[in-house]
Amino acid sequence: MASANQGDFDYLFKLLLIGDSGVGKSSLLLSFTSNTFDDLSPTIGVDFKVKMVTIGGKKLKLALWDTAGQERFRTLTNAYYRGAHGIIMVYDVTRRDTFTNLSDIWAKEIELYSTNQDCIKMVVGNKVDKLNARAVTKKEGIDFARECGCLFLECSAKTQSNVERCFEELVLKILETPSLLAEGSTGVKKNIFSQSQQRTDSPPPGSCC
Amino acid sequence: MTTSTLTPTQRYAAGALFGLALRQAQIHQTHLLGSSFPVDEEADAAVPDRSSSSSNSSNFSSSDADSDSPQLWTHPSRGLLRPVFRFLEIDSKAWPGLEETASYSDAKHHFWAYLKIMVEEDNGRSSEKSEQELVLAKSIDAMVMSLETVHPSEGTTTGRSDESFESSEHASSKLSAIREEAIKRYNGANDRGSRPADNSVNYPRKVTILFELLSACVADSPQDYEKASVRRKGYDARHRIALRLLATWLDIKWIKMEAMEIIVAFSAMAANKEQQQSQQSDSTKNKWAKWKRGGIIGAAALTGGVLLAITGGLAAPAIAAGFGALAPTLGTLVPVIGASGFAAVASAAGSVAGSVAVAASFGAAGAGLSGSKMARRIGDIEEFEFIPVGGNHNQGRLAVGIVVSGFVFKESDFVSPWEAFEDNLERYALQWESKNLVAVSTAIQDWLTSTLTRELMKGGAMMTVLNSLVIALAWPAALLSATDFIDSKWTIAIDRSDKAGRLLAETLIKGLQGNRPVTLLGFSLGARVIFKCLQHLAKSGDNEGLVERVVLLGAPIELKDEEWVTARKMVAGRFINIYSTNDWILGVTFRASLLTQGLAGIQAVDLPGIENVDVTGLIDGHSSYLSTVPKILEQLELDTYYSVFSYSPQLSE
Repeated sequence: MASANQGDFDYLFKLLLIGDSGVGKSSLLLSFTSNTFDDLSPTIGVDFKVKMVTIGGKKLKLALWDTAGQERFRTLTNAYYRGAHGIIMVYDVTRRDTFTNLSDIWAKEIELYSTNQDCIKMVVGNKVDKLNARAVTKKEGIDFARECGCLFLECSAKTQSNVERCFEELVLKILETPSLLAEGSTGVKKNIFSQSQQRTDSPPPGSCC
Repeated sequence: MTTSTLTPTQRYAAGALFGLALRQAQIHQTHLLGSSFPVDEEADAAVPDRSSSSSNSSNFSSSDADSDSPQLWTHPSRGLLRPVFRFLEIDSKAWPGLEETASYSDAKHHFWAYLKIMVEEDNGRSSEKSEQELVLAKSIDAMVMSLETVHPSEGTTTGRSDESFESSEHASSKLSAIREEAIKRYNGANDRGSRPADNSVNYPRKVTILFELLSACVADSPQDYEKASVRRKGYDARHRIALRLLATWLDIKWIKMEAMEIIVAFSAMAANKEQQQSQQSDSTKNKWAKWKRGGIIGAAALTGGVLLAITGGLAAPAIAAGFGALAPTLGTLVPVIGASGFAAVASAAGSVAGSVAVAASFGAAGAGLSGSKMARRIGDIEEFEFIPVGGNHNQGRLAVGIVVSGFVFKESDFVSPWEAFEDNLERYALQWESKNLVAVSTAIQDWLTSTLTRELMKGGAMMTVLNSLVIALAWPAALLSATDFIDSKWTIAIDRSDKAGRLLAETLIKGLQGNRPVTLLGFSLGARVIFKCLQHLAKSGDNEGLVERVVLLGAPIELKDEEWVTARKMVAGRFINIYSTNDWILGVTFRASLLTQGLAGIQAVDLPGIENVDVTGLIDGHSSYLSTVPKILEQLELDTYYSVFSYSPQLSE
């Protein structure tokens, strides 16, 4: 599980990776946490990793939840949206359906299940290393992200280009959001739930940037 | 394993459910379900603070705050979850996610999600597998029937039982009211999210889930020892309590779990036998008759031919396996039989015993509890002996009960209070220091019948005395001198009970109960023995998985000085303190420390996680515990996961 040395941190953020099966969520996470790339089998249920980072002068503990993209796990992964500070929607730039599914499925899932009104969303197009196979242009990605109020980046888990930046930008945005900071500060982890529970009744979150 | 009737995803979900249950069970150690159980986690932080004056409580609050803490039962170093995952053949990549999910205290949402997976995964399942589940469910039902039919016949061994039956009938109306209220309260808690009810998963499926988990719990799978601290072989009390909670969540009666335990135990024995290969299967026949008497075969016959084949096949190895070898000792389950019937069970049970060597780790290293006097002695302890009680011995029970009397007038008082109470535990009575106990009990009795006392009682003075004791006020001089002669005997008895507690702890650590979860019940000084045992367990390392439940009745234990928090941690499941506010014998004899410190036997223990039950209405003196124990135990419904008795209002004082 987590490494031993994580006693001190300023904030604890819960980040969630979602998107179709095979778009490279687990690879992205692996690339970020251990700077390696590997051929991974489909994730079962959810995977969990911890990474300590220092961003914007703050010591942060990132609780990274990697969900299975396969449909059969959908009901199960829904429950993990709760209390997430940041959600990364991943698509595969070489598979157009994974991109269209972002608006058809995943954005709706966030609206349904996320409990954090101000939660930061991010759209990430993966596998940009496959230059010839590209099926979704960068412009399309940017447009979609703007439309639903998300951050946007393209990256490659294989070459590790932009991978770190994904998480960095997301975290920086969270750090700029006072309501998320209050929840993420040390020791009040428990309160995430009670606060978010009150919010479940409020209308689904709109755009957040 | 290919033989499992569950798909890999379903096994994954089963593992997740078990993890959730394990974590919730640990939370319930400090927050009673249905009472002050915090819905929102902010209360989490507040409750441990209340007890932060005692030495060890800070551990727990800190563990709550950090999900990586090795304090958590779900943590890999505890070795509680991973062996189960491995047994279920869940991909090791998924383990961290499951562990983190479990330690995340927000169980409600995940529970639902994982349960749904169980149903959704059904597409493309072969009907053969559903049939197997059905067969398993039926054979468990048959086992349940046999368990239920065995009871009444056992109960008639003593005249006392009739009495208790009557009284229980008498109290039944009141009882059912209490129970209804408890259930209502419990359901209220559900609405707030501690227990999702469900009807979506069919019964055979639920049973299969529990059965596979149970098998995983008792299976003796290889460990990754570098990470896990050494885990005892066998059936961990924490596992049992998690299963108990999960069964409650799934709305499966506990007796079905007990039936499964028996099936698994026999399967394990048979599997073990397979490995050892039969050398002598000669004495099979007369054991069969013995087993028949146990009722299992009869019940199976009732439910039809198929079941006879299954359960019969199951029972056959069991009989032969069990009784001959088991009889003298409690633990060593060395099977002695050809496992012809075992194949049938394995196919019915799907996975379990067929493909995995569920090693019979219930064997004791030494001679076992029964009949073996302790070789080692501590201090002045002259007598320390286990006597089998009830009829559940050598029948493959996976849980042990140890009962300890503490206020006795004759030797039979060690056993008789516990005889009428029926459960499915393999029960032993601890007979200890009878000379001293009889001496002090008789002295108290004599004093009671003395003229002075009678005078005092007549004037209602006793009640006044006790009241003033509790609030630490004046003490009548007349009473003081009158009790002088009890004091010396009492002091000795207290000292011996402390030592007997240590001895009991060492017995458990040695595993003489056969690495099975233990339920400890005791009254008066016997309760003190148990408490001291828990303290000693806490002191001597990682012994949290030994004791499943504890019931203390009229316990002479100080509230302030003793380490209740530490003791509580040693008990995986319910920890019940039964007290009576008019138990003035206890008050008088224990007055020295009582004046300043409070006493568990006459008031509630104000610690989250301890159930306090006021039986003032049932008890008219300390000695009446001797006769009321069965009645009280019956009302406690120990097999229920949550507390059934009403909570005492004093709790908050």
